[in-house]
Amino acid sequence: MATLSAAWMYQDRGLGPVDYSDDFITRKPNFNRFQTSFLGSFPTGILQTRFRLNNLLRRTSSVRRIKCEKNDELPEYVSVERPPYYSYFDSASGQLEPASGARASIPGEEYWPEGTASRVRAARAPEPTGESTGSPSYGKHPGSRRKKYKASVRARSSEVSVESSASLEPEVSEDATEDPKESSSEYVVYETESKAEGETEYELDKKLGRPHPFIDPKVRKPIEEPLSSEELWWNWRKSDKEQWSRWQRRRPDVETVFLKAMAETGQIKLYGEHPTLTETALYRARRHLFKEERLKAEQERLERIGPIAYYSEWVKAWKRDTSREAIQKHYEETGEDENTQLIEMFCHQTDREYRIMMGNDIRIKRDPLAMRLQEDQIKQIWGGDPVYPTVNYIQDPDEVIDYRGPDFHEPTPNMLDYLKEHGKVISREELEEILAKEKTEEVEMTDMDEAMAQAVDIGEKDEEGEDSDLDADADDEEEKITRNWSVLKSTPQLQKSKAKPKKDGPMSLEEAVDDSENLTDFLLDFDEED
Amino acid sequence: MAISVPLHQLTYSFFSNPQGQWKWCAKPSYSFSNNSQNNIRAIKASVETPPFPLFQNPKLEETPADGLEPADPDFYKIGYVRSMRAYGVEFKEGPDGFGVFASKDIEPRRRARLVMQIPLELMLTIRQKLPWMFFPDIVPLGHPIFDIINSTDPETDWDLRLACLLLYAFDQDDNFWQLYGDFLPNADECTSLLLATEEDLMELQDPNLASTMREQQKRAREFWEKNWHSGVPLKIKRLAHDPERFIWAVSIAQSRCINMQVRIGALVQDANMLIPYADMLNHSFQPNCFFHWRFKDRMLEVMVNAGQHVRRGEEMTVNYMHGQMNDMLMQRYGFSSPVNPWNVIQFSGDARIHLDSFLSVFNISGLPEEYYHNSKISSDEESFIDGAVIAAARTLPTWSDGDVPLVPSIERKAVKELQEECRQMLAEFPTTSKQDQKMLDSMKEPRRTLEAAIKYRLHRKLFIDKVIKALDIYQDRILF
Repeated sequence: MATLSAAWMYQDRGLGPVDYSDDFITRKPNFNRFQTSFLGSFPTGILQTRFRLNNLLRRTSSVRRIKCEKNDELPEYVSVERPPYYSYFDSASGQLEPASGARASIPGEEYWPEGTASRVRAARAPEPTGESTGSPSYGKHPGSRRKKYKASVRARSSEVSVESSASLEPEVSEDATEDPKESSSEYVVYETESKAEGETEYELDKKLGRPHPFIDPKVRKPIEEPLSSEELWWNWRKSDKEQWSRWQRRRPDVETVFLKAMAETGQIKLYGEHPTLTETALYRARRHLFKEERLKAEQERLERIGPIAYYSEWVKAWKRDTSREAIQKHYEETGEDENTQLIEMFCHQTDREYRIMMGNDIRIKRDPLAMRLQEDQIKQIWGGDPVYPTVNYIQDPDEVIDYRGPDFHEPTPNMLDYLKEHGKVISREELEEILAKEKTEEVEMTDMDEAMAQAVDIGEKDEEGEDSDLDADADDEEEKITRNWSVLKSTPQLQKSKAKPKKDGPMSLEEAVDDSENLTDFLLDFDEED
Repeated sequence: MAISVPLHQLTYSFFSNPQGQWKWCAKPSYSFSNNSQNNIRAIKASVETPPFPLFQNPKLEETPADGLEPADPDFYKIGYVRSMRAYGVEFKEGPDGFGVFASKDIEPRRRARLVMQIPLELMLTIRQKLPWMFFPDIVPLGHPIFDIINSTDPETDWDLRLACLLLYAFDQDDNFWQLYGDFLPNADECTSLLLATEEDLMELQDPNLASTMREQQKRAREFWEKNWHSGVPLKIKRLAHDPERFIWAVSIAQSRCINMQVRIGALVQDANMLIPYADMLNHSFQPNCFFHWRFKDRMLEVMVNAGQHVRRGEEMTVNYMHGQMNDMLMQRYGFSSPVNPWNVIQFSGDARIHLDSFLSVFNISGLPEEYYHNSKISSDEESFIDGAVIAAARTLPTWSDGDVPLVPSIERKAVKELQEECRQMLAEFPTTSKQDQKMLDSMKEPRRTLEAAIKYRLHRKLFIDKVIKALDIYQDRILF
C-alpha cells in the first residue's frame, strides 16, 4: 500500500528521466487516443500490491502527465568473424596456410548446404547424463514414472502395482538405461602395481624424462644385411635393362621439349639432361616475362616515335622522313594529317610486306629469333603427320603443297577470263574486227584464207619436222594450257611464248632454246644435223 | 505483441500438509497472474546458502524453491536416442506437473531460436480429413483397430481416433509411446473434465459447461461400449480393458493434441498430432514459443519467439488456443486462467462506456484482436493490468465515435450500471471467491478434477471482480 502510494507520488514528482522533448505532450484533460505500438517488457516478480483508491490518487491523477514513447532499439549485433583457428600465415611464403597442412579449412556455416546446420547442431547436442531410478512399464501403467505419482503410489501402497514394478525392475533395468551406463560396470580395474615392478631402467628413463636411446636396448634388433637395390621398394636407381616398351619413355611436354631444344642450341643451361619441373616453370615464366617486356617495349616505341615511323619498318618503298617534325611540316604544308599520310604510306606497301606485317601467313616465318625445333622434337610435341605417319614417306619440306595462288581466298574464278578461254566470249575489239571483216571481205577473203590455210608449206625436211613437231607441241601445250586456264592466267608469259613460233619463220638458236620444253626437243632429229 | 503483465513462473499454493507430501500435479499446469484479490502469496522458500562456499562442497539442492525438480533423466534420454533434441531447455517436474524451462539465457534475436526438435517418427499423427493417414503408419492393414477408426465420424470424432491410436501405440512393441506413456499424467493426475465425477461437474457452477462435459463423457463411454463389447477380439480388448482407460486416453488425446497444418511429402494437410515432448509445454497467453513444422526432415520445431528475451529458469510456454474463453479451455484442456484476455461477460442493458478513454486509462494499445498493455507509456509499475483488464476492454460494451468526446456524467452512470450488473452476476454464484479460495486451501488432497473445477469458478469470479475494479479506476481517471 505504501509502495503504491509512493508509486503514485513518484509518478507525479519524479519525472526527471522522462523525456519531455518528444512531440505530443498534452496537458489536456482529454485523453487523446494515441495508440502506439511496440514491444514492452514488464518487470516480473513484482509483489502484489493492494490497490486502493484514495484522495491522493485523485489529486495526483489530475497532474498526471502523458508520456511519450521512446524507441529503444536493440543494439545491432555485428557478427564477429570466425577466428582463423584453422589457418595461419606461413612465415616462409607469406601465404595463408592451413594449420593441419592437409587441406584448406572447412568453410563456415554460411556456406553449408541447407539443413546441414541443423544436423550438425543435432549431432553436437550433448548426450543426456543421469540415471533413472524407475523403469518403463511399456504401456501398462501410464504415468508411472512421474515423481508425484510415485510418491502417491507409495502412500497408497497398492501392492499389485508395486510388486509388478518390482518384478519388472530387475528384468527391465538393463533395457531401461541405455548403453553408456552399463559399460562402466563391465570395466575391470587393473592394478597398476605390477607395472611398476616390471619397469626397466629404460622405461624409467623415458618416464622420468632422462636422456635415453630411441629404442629400448633390450628390445632392439641388430641391423640386418641391407637390401639389394632390386629389393628396395623405393628403388631409385634406373634399371639397367632396356625398356621393354616404348610406353615407358619419358612423356614429352611442350615446355620440357622446348627447354631441351633450347639447351641443345645453347640458349639456356639446364642442370641435368632433362629439365626439371622447377626449371620448366622458371623458364616458362621467364619467357612469359620476356614476351611481355618485348611487347611493352614495342608499344612504348610506337608511342614514342609515332605510327608512321613505326609502321615504315614494313614499307620499304617509303623513303621519306618519318619523324614527327617532318609529319608536322607536311601537315602544315599540305593539310594532310597524320592518318592521311599513314594511308599514303601504306599505299606503297607490297603484299608480301603486308603479310609479314600482319603475321597471318604461316609460310612466312614471323620471328627470325624463333627457335627451330628439330623434326623429332616437333613430332614429340605435336605429333607427326596424321596422314602419312611413317618415316619412309619423304616430302620436300620446302614444297608448298596445293598452293592455289595468292587469290585463292577468292575461289570464284574470273568468269570473264574463263569464258574467254573457252571461246564463249570475245572482247569487243575482236568482235568489231570480225564484224568488220564480215561486212567487207566476205566473199573474196574466204577463198584466199582457205587457200592460204590449206596450203602446206613445203620447206625443208627439218623445218617441216620442226614445224610439225612444234605445231604438235604447240597444239598439245595449247590444249594443256587451256585446261589449266588458271595457270594460264597467272603466268601470262606462257601464252606469249607459245604464240610466237607460229608467226615467225625459222627461229634463231636462242628462240629455239627458249621455246623448247627441255633439251629433249632437240634430240629428235639429231643424227640428221651435222 | 506481448502483453506485459507481471507473471510468475508458476504459482503454487503451498499448503502445509501433515503428511508432507506434494500430491498435486495438475497437467497441464498453467501460469497466471499473481494479482488475485485474495491472499494467495507465493511463498518462496529461501535457500540456505553456505556461508563460505569455497570451503564447503556445493550442495545439490534436493528440492529447489519452486518445488521444481529435474525430470527423470530417462525422459529426455529415450527421446535423445531417437534423434529428438532439446537445446537450452530442460524438463522439470513440479507439484503441478511437467514443465519446460530454459536452462540458459537466450538473447533477443531477430531470428526465432530453435529450442526443441522432435522427429515425426515419435509422433502419432492422423490427418483430420478423409482419407485418414497416419504418420508414422503404425496401424497394420488388417488390424481391427483400423475398422474402429474408420467407423468414427470424420467431422467430430478426431479425439476418439487419436485415443484409439494412442492405445494401439501403447500396445505395440518397441513403440516410443510405450516408454513415453510413463510420463503422461495418469487418470488420477489428469485434470481433464472427462474424468470428472458428477460432483465435480456440479462444482463448476456453470451449467453449460457441465452439460457439455456430460455429453462428452457419454459420447466417449458409448464409443467404448460400442467398440469394446465383449465379443471383440483380444487384440482390441487388451487395448482398453475398462472404459476408464479409454476415457483417460480420450482425455489425453483431447488435451495434448496439437492441430497443425503440416506438409509431408507433397501433401499439405491438417493433422491432429500427439507430439511427445512438445506437449509438455504449458500454456500462456503471452507465450514464449511457438511450433513450427520443418518439412525438410519432418521435424516439429519448438522455437522461441523472435526478439524474445528468455532468462534462465523461465518457463517455455505456448499458446494452446487463441481467442477462447475459459470454458473452452476448461473443456478441452482441463484448466482455466483468471487472466484470460478472451474472457467474455454477457452484459445486458444499454450502458456503454467510451472505448478510447477506457483503453487510454489503462494504456492498452493495439487493435481489438490484439490488445496489449503498453508499458512504455506508463512507466510506473502498474501491476493491476493483466489479461483480465484486456478481456474487460474487449467484453465491456463500449461506444466509440471518432472525435466525439465523452460526457463524464453519462460515463459515470454507465460505469455504475455495469458494475451493478457485475455484482449481480457475482451474487448469482452460490459461493463467493473468498469462499472458493478457502475451500481450495482447506482441501487436503482433492481430486484433480475437483480442484480444477473449483479453480474454474474461482477464476470466473476473480475475473468479474477485476472488471468491477477496472471500472472503478476508469471512473476515477475519466476526468483529468
